[in-house]
Amino acid sequence: MNVLLRLAQFFAPLTHYPAYILAYLFETLFLIIFVMVSLVAMIYLFRKYMARLQLRIGPNRVGKFGTLQLIADSLKLVGKESILPAGRDDLPYRIAPIIVFLGLVLSFALLPYGQFFYIGSLTVTNSDVSLLLLFAALAIMPIGEILAGFSSRNKYAVVGALRGVAKDVSFEIPMMISVLALVMMASAKTANPLNLTNLVEVQFIPYGIPQIIGLGVFFIAMVARASYSPFDMSESDSELVSGHSIEYTGMRFGMFYMGLFGSIFLSSLIVSLLYLGGYNGPFSGYAGFVYLLIKAVILVLISFTIWLSVPRIRIDKFVNMGWKYLLPASIINLIIAGILTLGVGI
Amino acid sequence: MMNTDISKPDEHGWVELNMGPQHPSTHGVLRLKVKLDGEIIKEVEPVIGYLHRNAEKICELDYYCDSLIYFDRMDYVGAMNMEVGFLEAAEKLLGIPPPERAEWIRVVMAELSRIASHLVWAGAFGLDLGMLTPFFYCFVEREKILRIFTEVCGTRQETNYMSIGGVYQDFNDKIVHDILEFTEQFPKKLEDIFSAYVKNDIFISRTKGIGILEPEVALNYGVTGPMLRASGVEYDVRKAEPYLVYDKLNFDIPVSYKKDNLARFLVRFEEMRQSIKIINQAVKKISDGPYFNPKAKKSLMIRLRGEGEVYARTESSKGEFGVYLVGDGGVKPYRLRVRSPSLKNLSILPYLAKDVMIADMVAISGTIDLVFGEVDR
Repeated sequence: MNVLLRLAQFFAPLTHYPAYILAYLFETLFLIIFVMVSLVAMIYLFRKYMARLQLRIGPNRVGKFGTLQLIADSLKLVGKESILPAGRDDLPYRIAPIIVFLGLVLSFALLPYGQFFYIGSLTVTNSDVSLLLLFAALAIMPIGEILAGFSSRNKYAVVGALRGVAKDVSFEIPMMISVLALVMMASAKTANPLNLTNLVEVQFIPYGIPQIIGLGVFFIAMVARASYSPFDMSESDSELVSGHSIEYTGMRFGMFYMGLFGSIFLSSLIVSLLYLGGYNGPFSGYAGFVYLLIKAVILVLISFTIWLSVPRIRIDKFVNMGWKYLLPASIINLIIAGILTLGVGI
Repeated sequence: MMNTDISKPDEHGWVELNMGPQHPSTHGVLRLKVKLDGEIIKEVEPVIGYLHRNAEKICELDYYCDSLIYFDRMDYVGAMNMEVGFLEAAEKLLGIPPPERAEWIRVVMAELSRIASHLVWAGAFGLDLGMLTPFFYCFVEREKILRIFTEVCGTRQETNYMSIGGVYQDFNDKIVHDILEFTEQFPKKLEDIFSAYVKNDIFISRTKGIGILEPEVALNYGVTGPMLRASGVEYDVRKAEPYLVYDKLNFDIPVSYKKDNLARFLVRFEEMRQSIKIINQAVKKISDGPYFNPKAKKSLMIRLRGEGEVYARTESSKGEFGVYLVGDGGVKPYRLRVRSPSLKNLSILPYLAKDVMIADMVAISGTIDLVFGEVDR
């Protein structure tokens, strides 16, 4: 039984519709709390991990082991003056950070999270087209970044947005073709492979093993989407200062910052769901969410290591890579998946 | 008609972008006026002077011995080399040669300073390319050198260690031991840092074949130091016109004929290895004797008078560092002029960063190794 039904039961004394509306409201609240808590944990983990990698100590002043540092930082961000640049395009400038954050939360809402002990299923939405919805939601965040770049009347931001567009076009197609291969493989086992829950549960063998090429392509695309080194050309600090978010201050900037770290966690969750078996494992009826979390955190740490140790690739080389290597690789992966599905029958 | 509104493209369709003086990749306060055609850079115009402190004129208003601290603040990441450069000129003018022991000590300190400077450069170059971590490995090693400096003279960066006629303090056993300990462990750490860069394909793709500097062009622009040697010209003042005791030491001048960003990177790393070789020899060869010329003892220092004109050149970590001094017989220099290598090397940027991408221009300006204390003085 999932959380929604439980909540609806809790409000059962009320009539049917108000009970469901209240249940949805509470569920949205839980989701936002989950996203926020995971962001706080991610940023703390990042700062501590970065410090260890760089022979430093990291935050250790606010709270025990610096755990409250992020809360102090976000309070500072909220308290800062929000400077609006002159000559901006007002509406896009104001809604861009909101779109980024909205896209992030929306994507989190569409993932299946598996069972968690007595709470039951943590999955929020169990739509029959949740895979399509997920990739539609993932495409929202870049729109916010591009709007921010073009509306803030800054040349760095414009160049950053241009790079962002070029980057999105180059990685989205290989990414979708690798997902297509997954759906193809799953369609042999389940009637509805577009449902993410089905797609996870048919992974008796994690799909990352037969589709190792697809995993590589998808992971690279996810790194590019979350836009951290080596693919952070659109906000490269040494060239464009901070790209599309250069004119943002205060909590508006904080939303872009949360978008970055949320994207890393989101990417790790998606990769572990689609390719690493998600919440499958022994006793996944009870502890499925724990498996998912462990896989995601390991992927997050791998992402951080990549982020901190490689230089930035040049935008033309990335576009080159997207069309000349990622796209053929994803097509080869599709062919292999077809052969495996029809011929071998995994 | 001139295009005055820089927010709009000019008659070529190029957009003017102002990078700096507050920009993360300009190593201080460099301002670059860039004409952009999309991602391609069409023109670069460096604008300097934001850190101008009038050091040369202030030196003319001070006693000879007081000028030294202004030299520390020129190339502040390799301050000992600046001191050597000034003292070469001042001692020649005032006729107070340092004793031999002081010369050996100066060589050791200058080479340590050269390593520190190159380490700062290596870390900052990584940041220019978007590598965050090697920066800290470089700075940990630099910190060990700064500890030795603190032990010797009490200061970390602007050392003010040498003085006219010798050095401020003698080496003792602990300092020699510290230096030897550093040179023993440093090569391994250096190779670690080196491999963090060159074993990375993205690093190679960002540096190889980018920013080609032909040797004739480099000579015409007055480029010196590692930039010139990476273009295949074997010129190093330490060999061409030895000062201090460099002629008694056995070391090589690294030269690369590839002329690109990667060549400059490799030359600087090889220079660090050679500096370790020099330090190891020099520490063992330090002769006994006084470390200070008694003619320049403290009570007499401000009465030193010089007459005539001298020009002394030394090899700082950035290139050929020249000091021109004119004395009119008074206690203060009549004219002091500095040839700063960073300024001459910066002049090559508009030539190198033409028709390259923004990311490459940042990488090229990173390999020039700019220190703005020295460019603007």
